[in-house]
Amino acid sequence: MKRLLQSGFRHPSASDEAPDSLHIQQVPLSAVLADNLQRMHTIYTNCPDVVFRSLYIDRSIQATLIYIEGLSNNDAIDKSVIAPLAQITIQPAEAIHTVIEQQLTVPKITELHSIAECIDQLSSGCPVLLFDHNAVGLSFNLAKWEKRGVEEPTAEAVVRGPREGFTESLGVNTSLLRRKLRTPQLKMMPLKVGRFTQTELVVAFIDEIAEQALIDEVLRRLERIDIDGVLESAYIEELIEDAPHSLFPQIMNTERPDVAVANLLEGRVVILVDGTPFALIAPVTFYSLLQSAEDYYQRYTFSSTIRWLRYAALVISLLLPSLYVATLTYHQEMIPTSLFFSIAKSREEIPFPVVIEALIMEITFEALREAGVRLPKQIGAAVSIVGALVIGQAAVSAGIVSAPMVMVVAITGISSFMIPRYSAGIAIRMLRFPIIMLAGVLGLLGIMLAVIFTVVHLCTIRSFGVPYMSPMGPMKARDMKDVLMRAPLWMLNTRPHLTGDGNKYRQAPGQKPDSNRGSE
Amino acid sequence: MIDKGKISAIQMAYIMYPTILATAILLVPAITAKTAGRDLWLSPVWASITGFITVFIATRLNNYYPDMSLIEFSEHIVGRWIGKLLGFFYLLFFLHITAIIIREYGEFIVGSFLRNTPISVVMATMVLVCAFNVRGGVEVVGRTAQMFVPIVLFLFICIVILLIPDLHPKNMLPILEHGLKPSLMGSLVPTGWFSEFILITFLLPCMTDRNKGTKWGMIAVATVMLTIVITNLASYFLFGALTSTLVYPVMVAARYISIADFFEHLEAFVMAIWVGGTFVKISMFYYAIVAGTAQWLKLSDFRPLTLPIGFILVMISIWTAPNLQELVHFLSSVSPFYFLSFQTVIPALLLLLIMVKSRSRQSRGT
Repeated sequence: MKRLLQSGFRHPSASDEAPDSLHIQQVPLSAVLADNLQRMHTIYTNCPDVVFRSLYIDRSIQATLIYIEGLSNNDAIDKSVIAPLAQITIQPAEAIHTVIEQQLTVPKITELHSIAECIDQLSSGCPVLLFDHNAVGLSFNLAKWEKRGVEEPTAEAVVRGPREGFTESLGVNTSLLRRKLRTPQLKMMPLKVGRFTQTELVVAFIDEIAEQALIDEVLRRLERIDIDGVLESAYIEELIEDAPHSLFPQIMNTERPDVAVANLLEGRVVILVDGTPFALIAPVTFYSLLQSAEDYYQRYTFSSTIRWLRYAALVISLLLPSLYVATLTYHQEMIPTSLFFSIAKSREEIPFPVVIEALIMEITFEALREAGVRLPKQIGAAVSIVGALVIGQAAVSAGIVSAPMVMVVAITGISSFMIPRYSAGIAIRMLRFPIIMLAGVLGLLGIMLAVIFTVVHLCTIRSFGVPYMSPMGPMKARDMKDVLMRAPLWMLNTRPHLTGDGNKYRQAPGQKPDSNRGSE
Repeated sequence: MIDKGKISAIQMAYIMYPTILATAILLVPAITAKTAGRDLWLSPVWASITGFITVFIATRLNNYYPDMSLIEFSEHIVGRWIGKLLGFFYLLFFLHITAIIIREYGEFIVGSFLRNTPISVVMATMVLVCAFNVRGGVEVVGRTAQMFVPIVLFLFICIVILLIPDLHPKNMLPILEHGLKPSLMGSLVPTGWFSEFILITFLLPCMTDRNKGTKWGMIAVATVMLTIVITNLASYFLFGALTSTLVYPVMVAARYISIADFFEHLEAFVMAIWVGGTFVKISMFYYAIVAGTAQWLKLSDFRPLTLPIGFILVMISIWTAPNLQELVHFLSSVSPFYFLSFQTVIPALLLLLIMVKSRSRQSRGT
C-alpha cells in the first residue's frame, strides 16, 4: 500500500519541468546593458510589480535600476541611490562599480555577476542596478516591506514574563534572538527551501553547547527537503521529524523568543522560518511539551505544584471519560454506594449505553472547540452559548445525556487545555476516542492495554536521537530535577543530558542565596 | 549480536523485578502457605538462594562469551549439533513457560473480572501489546519497564500501608514451630520463579556497563525476595491459615482496602496496574524467545518473527492446560523440577563444562 502510494505520487525529476527562464538564469551578466535588460524582461514578463527605471550615471553611462514595488524602501532609493547617481563624476581610469560603491550612502552594497544573483536580490527586496560597459551589477540593501510589529504572542500567554513574540519577518526574529543572546557563539546558518517560495530558514544554535552531531543531522534533514513551497514551519516539521506517523509532536514550536533562547541554552537547535512567527525547536522530549515558559518565572514551589497539576490534567484528559465508562459498565462495585445511586438516578431515562453517551458528548465537545477556533470572533461567542445551552442544559433536561456525563466531559475539556503545548494536547485528545471504545469493550483492562500501548509507542520514538521519554525511560536521575519538580534555579546547575553534554555546567555551583551573605 | 540496542545494568534490574514478581505475587502466598504454613515468610528467603546462584551462573557464563546469549554459547560449549539441539529445547521450553504465564494472566483476568469475555481475547490482546514492545527491541523493553515498575511498586506499597489496620501480626507466632522443614518444603515452588533469572543471559550481551551486571542482578534478586516476603507476611497477617485456601490472596486483600469509607473495592484498579507488571514479564520472556529463535536460525533481524511467535504463544497458552485447577496443580507439583532443570541446572552444567574446558586448555598451553 505504502509503495503504491509513493509510486502514484512520484514527481517527475526537477530537470523535466524546469521552465525556459531557468536556463537564462544560469547566464553570467553581459557587458552590454541591452542584453541584460532583455533577459530580465523575458524573465519578468507579466510581472507589472517589477519596476525598470532608466537613468544616466555621470550624464553619459546608461544604467537601469530594477526593483519590485512594495518590497523596497522608495524614499531611500530616491535619496541615496537615484539622486547621488546623477551627481557622480567618473574618471576614465576608474571602474564604475567601485566608484558607486564608494560614493553611495547605502549601508550594504553587493556585487552581482549573474542573472540568477540579480533575481535572488530582487526577490528579497533589494534594488539592482545594471549599467552599460560593465559585466557587474550592484544591489543595495534597501529592502523594506509591510510587516507586523512585535506583539504579545497569543498562543503562549504568561502572567509574568516577556511580552514580545516572534513575527512573520525572519530578520526581526533573528534580531529578537540576538538581542537576548549577545554572545558571538550564537550561530545562525541560513538555508533556502522551496522551489517556488524560496523560503529562507535560519538554523540557530549556540556553539560549544549544541552537539555538532545534532547540528549536522538537522542540516542534513533540512537539505533533503525539495518541495515547491514552505508556508509555515509545520511544513518543515513534517518533513524532518523522526516518526512521521506518530500522534505525538517530536518537534516543538514556539512563538516566544525567551522559550527559544532557553532551549538554545539547553543545547537544542532552533529553526526560524521566514513568513511565520512559529519557530521550531528540536530535539524535544515528552516532558518538555508539558512545561511552560512561566514555570521558570514563578517561585519554584508554585511551579512544581503547577507541574504536578499539569501531569494530573494529562492523565484526566486522557483517561477520565474512559474510566467513567469502564467503571459504570464493568466495575460498578468500585463506585461508592451513595455516588452510585445518584449517578444511577440521573441515568434512569438515558436511552444510550455509557460508551455511546461518552462518544457522543466527546465528539460534540471537539466539534464545538473546533468551531470556536475557526469562526470569526464575534460568532465564536454565539457558538459557545449555543454549545453550553444545548449540550449542558437542554440535552440533560431532555433526557438524552446524563448530567454526570456532561461534568465528565467538561472536566476533561478543561484538563486538556491545561497542556501548555497545543500540538501535544491534540495528540492526547485524539487518543481519548480509541481508549473510550476499548473501555467499553474490555473495561479497566482495555484502558490499561491502551495506556501500555501508548507508553510503548512513546518509548519507541526518538526526536533527533533523543529518546522521547527521557529522562524517565531511560532514566536519568540528574535530569529528574526539571521533570518531577521545577528545581530552584540555584540547583539547576547542569544542562539536560543528551543535548547539553558538550558543556555540562550552566552556572557556578553554590548560588543558593543566604541571608548571611551580606555580613560576611 | 542481533539487537543493537543498549541497556544499562539498572534497566536490567528494572526489567527483572516484574519479570519474577508479576505472577509470583499472585500465586506464591497461597502455594507456600499450603506447605510452609505459618513459616511461609521464610520460604522466599530459601528460594532466593536459587536466584542468587542463577544470576551468578549467568554472569559467569557471560564472562566467557560476552556477546552471546544462552542459545548462542551453548553451541560453543557442547558443540554444534548438541548445542543446536539444546537451543531448540530451550526455545520450546521458553515457549511453554511463556504460554503458561500468559495463561495465568488470562485465567486471573477472566476468573476475577471479565467473566463473560473469552479467555483467548484477553490473552491475544495482551500478546499483541507485548509484540509491539518486543518489536522495539531490548531498549524499548527496558524503557517501558522503567515506566511501569515505579507505578507497580508504588501501588504495592500503597496496598500494604492501607492494609495495616487489618493486619494481625500475632498470626505468625509461633515461629518455626515444626523446625525448618516446612519452610524449606514451601520454598520448592518459588525456586521455579527465582530460577527465571536465567533470562538475564539475553540481556547481558546488550549491556553497556557489564561489570555492574552481577551487582544489579543480585540487587534484583534481593528486592524480589523482600517483596515476596512482605507479600507473604501481609497475606498471612490478614488471613491466617485461610491463606492457603485462597487462589489470589493479594487480590482478596485489595478488597479490604477502604480509603475514607469512600473508595472501596479497588481490586479492579489494582488489577489494572498489576497488568502493567505482567506486561513487562511477558515482554521479557517473549523477547527471549524471539531473539533466541533469530539467533538459533542465524537470522539478521528478529523483528519479522515477533507476530508469528506471538500467534503461536496464544495457541500454546490455550492448549497448555484445560483449566486453572490443572494449571495450579502443574505449577505446584511438576513445575519446580521442570523450571529448575532448564533454568538453573543445565546452565550450571554448561558453566562447569566451560570451566573444565578452559582449565584443561590452560594447562595444555603452559
